Amino acid sequence: MERPLSPFMLPVWYRFQITSSLSILHRLTGVALAVGSILLAWWLVSVAAGGELFAVTHAFIASSIGMLLLFGWSIAFFYHLCNGIRHLAWDAGYGFELRQAYRSGYTVLVATALLTALTWLYVLLA
Amino acid sequence: MAKAFSLSDSTALRDETALRRVRQHGSARDGLREWRLQRLTALALIPLGLCFAASILWLAKSDQATAAAWLASPVSALLVILFVLAGLVHALIGIRSVFLDYVHTRARLLAAELLVRAAAAILAGASVLAVLKLFLGH
Repeated sequence: MERPLSPFMLPVWYRFQITSSLSILHRLTGVALAVGSILLAWWLVSVAAGGELFAVTHAFIASSIGMLLLFGWSIAFFYHLCNGIRHLAWDAGYGFELRQAYRSGYTVLVATALLTALTWLYVLLA
Repeated sequence: MAKAFSLSDSTALRDETALRRVRQHGSARDGLREWRLQRLTALALIPLGLCFAASILWLAKSDQATAAAWLASPVSALLVILFVLAGLVHALIGIRSVFLDYVHTRARLLAAELLVRAAAAILAGASVLAVLKLFLGH
């Protein structure tokens, strides 16, 4: 018998709710941030090397692709940070009631939007 | 029937050549260590990450000399090194758990894990060397 396997039950067998969507998003943003560590290491090396390497790196980061990547990583960073705190609270045994889980989920989304907006407002205005 | 040799026997030394250990049957018995390390690094990454993000924002429109001077100061050098190392350890555990869910053959799992471990080691080494170069050259 062909049984549906756990991660591949979407969307036929499984209805999305905010709780499961945020859980998947936590993993996706985590993977994105792990990939971002390549740029972080690259940037650190370019600062240490200086000269042309830094100029090329800086030009890439300042390009529209670079800015788009940074924007995506900033969302991923703030989301993973806020939702990570939510996970730590669960690990400590708090917030398991359905209403609390929903409320903390929406709080994470609002906090992510707010922090990302404030960050880029600062970049644009500073 | 003879009593089965048990690795959980408190007097038995852990024998890594036991067949069931070699064939990876049963619990590895050290899963909690990774779980705990992921939470510990998560806790550390809250202040380290916020501090790093604030510094990057502050550096956003500066030139290479300003960034180099910032990385050369002892406090920021230490914080960046701790951020990179905690971040990579945290990422490694996370990526590994993704592999365990989606990579279903033993050979591919091993290859993926070795690849990611190598990548993490290279990124950690490169980042730490870059910061140390600026710090020591100051």
